[in-house]
Amino acid sequence: MTDSTPIFQARAIEKAFPGVMALSGVDMTLHSGSIHALLGENGAGKSTLIKVITGVHAPTAGTLLLDGEQVSFANPRDAIVQGIGVVHQERNLFPRFSIAENIHLEQLAGGLIKPIDYKELNENARPWLRALDLDIDPATPVSELSVARMQLVEIAKALSLQSRVLLLDEPTASLTSSETDRLFTILRRLRDSGTSLVFVSHKLEEVQEICDRVTVLRDGANACDSQPMQGVGRQDLVRMMIGRAEGTASWRASDTSTHPEVLGLSDVSTTLGHKGINLSVRKGEVVGLYGLVGAGRTELAKAIMGKFALTGGTVAINGAPVTIPNVAAAIHDHGLGYISEDRKNEGLILQHSVLSNVGVPIWRKLAGRFGTLFDRDIRKAALPYLQKLEVKTPSLSQTVANLSGGNQQKISVAKWLAAGVQFLIVDEPSVGIDIKTKAYLHELLRDLADQGTAILVISSDMPEMIALADRIAVMDDYRIMGEIANTGKYDEIAPAIMALIHDSVAPAA
Amino acid sequence: MTQISRLSRTDWFGPLLATIIAIVVIRAFSANFLSSFNIQILLLAIAVNALVAYSQMIIIAIGQMNLSVGAIGGLAAISFVGMIEVWGIPAPLAVILALAIGVGCGVINGVLIRITGISAFVITLATLSIFKGINLGITEAQPFYGVPDSVKAFGSALVFGPIPWLVVPTVLVAVGLWFMLSRMPVGRFILAVGSNEHAAGLSGISVGATVIIAHGISGLLAAIAGVLVVARLQIGQPSIGDDWLILSFAAPVIGGAILAGGHVSVSATFLGVVIVAIITQALVLFNIDPFLVQVVLGALILAAVGLNKLRARAPIGQGT
Repeated sequence: MTDSTPIFQARAIEKAFPGVMALSGVDMTLHSGSIHALLGENGAGKSTLIKVITGVHAPTAGTLLLDGEQVSFANPRDAIVQGIGVVHQERNLFPRFSIAENIHLEQLAGGLIKPIDYKELNENARPWLRALDLDIDPATPVSELSVARMQLVEIAKALSLQSRVLLLDEPTASLTSSETDRLFTILRRLRDSGTSLVFVSHKLEEVQEICDRVTVLRDGANACDSQPMQGVGRQDLVRMMIGRAEGTASWRASDTSTHPEVLGLSDVSTTLGHKGINLSVRKGEVVGLYGLVGAGRTELAKAIMGKFALTGGTVAINGAPVTIPNVAAAIHDHGLGYISEDRKNEGLILQHSVLSNVGVPIWRKLAGRFGTLFDRDIRKAALPYLQKLEVKTPSLSQTVANLSGGNQQKISVAKWLAAGVQFLIVDEPSVGIDIKTKAYLHELLRDLADQGTAILVISSDMPEMIALADRIAVMDDYRIMGEIANTGKYDEIAPAIMALIHDSVAPAA
Repeated sequence: MTQISRLSRTDWFGPLLATIIAIVVIRAFSANFLSSFNIQILLLAIAVNALVAYSQMIIIAIGQMNLSVGAIGGLAAISFVGMIEVWGIPAPLAVILALAIGVGCGVINGVLIRITGISAFVITLATLSIFKGINLGITEAQPFYGVPDSVKAFGSALVFGPIPWLVVPTVLVAVGLWFMLSRMPVGRFILAVGSNEHAAGLSGISVGATVIIAHGISGLLAAIAGVLVVARLQIGQPSIGDDWLILSFAAPVIGGAILAGGHVSVSATFLGVVIVAIITQALVLFNIDPFLVQVVLGALILAAVGLNKLRARAPIGQGT
């Protein structure tokens, strides 16, 4: 099927933004009945290429061919009309509108005042929902759906536009593994019915599972162009993405069993529904907290930080039982720090400078007698940590929003180092970070631990967990299901973790 | 039980309950409250205020605000009388020209917001001053008295019983707006842009055109309100519109509108206007200092915003 004539081709696409060459001569060829992987690190040009193909950006040079004929799109609508659909990474639905209206809004864009026939709209939406195994009334408001179902509605929307080419940008980023499996079943079915799919993901395991061809971008150029997936291994993909092989075996055994306990939870329950949580993190230790999305890990972290109230059990810090009334007390009195998975909304103040982001937790400490603060003092306190983490920024007054994801993550770590925390919770450290930065970040966290910080890493990325943690606690449905001493061997640990989760899932299902 | 909880989720249920309670309570203390004359006064106030509220509501729907609603209404009002008095043109033509001025002012707001990318707050703050300045420049702060008899007659005529003709344009506008926002693509686009501008653009909706259309409608409704006030007062006062701003926000908010955009209710906004009118009326009936109206309006806005927040939490909890 893969040797059919190409349905869509991008040839020598160039896209220049003021001061940056985002794409320089990129090629991609799509066939119908195929799932095509588009890979690359953050900033490699994937998003820009998608935007060029879907009419959001006009290319500076190069041609787009649809069925062998040259096309150009003035706006997203043009591309949609020609059968190019896209499901963006962020949700693009209107929560208060019904499913049917969300699916068909595009078709309404033709006329402004022709009255809408909702009955017809609902009827028209039904087949698309059925095609995706969505058994919901099309008149249901989208706000009542789960995230996974919202995603399927977006796919239904793209399909209803007779999309022959469908681009999916990180469709699995917010799905659980069973939802991902269901999505893949649907994608395979679409492929078999002739749609040409483009699949963008950071998760190479998924890409290898479902894609038959691959295009890799690096620094705005092709590292490989529409090559069959057969015979391409994970290491080959990584090498093409980062230009060298993946740094492996960052895990190293460290014996911390004799170290004093920094944080101890015994039989803790919370208002959010955690029950009987026992967890201990020693000085210099990296403890992993593994679980699927929705297992209650982030919530536990926030409860430890004093954001949510405990209803039972005790929290001990350095062996002494404490109560933490709020986040300020957790930071200033107990030396706890929390790096949020939601860097953009919870972790950093994007509009502010590097200096003031790192300075936030230490302002109180540095303030003079009359509450005065001087940049000089903050700089003195913050600079060593920024240098240690090799944050790449033109100056300390640079706005954080202008830095790369990796550098932003380093700044959120530096912030807590400057605050001098003894215990650090890192929530999904590598979300939105490319492979090169990820390896570096892992090294950084290990170094921190070796220097005496106690670290709790929350992640649903199993390879990450196994590369990083000394011990792995597994959480499911707001309970700790068990704890595994990590050996760094993926083949041993991964099944053990899954067993802990599935033993608890099986009776419920 | 579920019936009640479903009702309580609709935008109009709370305001309707409040309206009924207010009527019953005030009637219990004042027999005059439901007299024919009093109802007529109430309806006259509601007719104008509903248009003012809708003028703001349509901008709230796209997630913006229009501070120049009163200035546009005032400019249209004095233009209307001024054209008749100075140029001697017939009243129907003057109405059309005055409404066109309203649309024009609204479109200017919309175009400036789209071209500059500056927030609607700042743009309409500036045009508020400009439109008001033009008004004062034309009138030199003196009223126009040349309101023709036909207009005066319309302003005081009754359809039947205590129902004045002035409410007819308002009712037509309300029905038209409801139809547009629930059944016409342009109305859905306005709500879509207010709900998620980025997504609306990616769905092929022209965000710029939608914003400009919404501001044009806002200007039109403000101008209709201005012309109706002239018919009611029988004079072209330069100060028409000066006190519209707070009310224009109060009624939509009492009606459950989300200030961030994407959700407004025509019927509940109307009830919001009714509540404000009844309470204002009650303060007069009970000889309470009329300046308290401002305090009450402010308190109502706070209460409504608080209630909306509570309500939003229950049904559409996304969970974090």
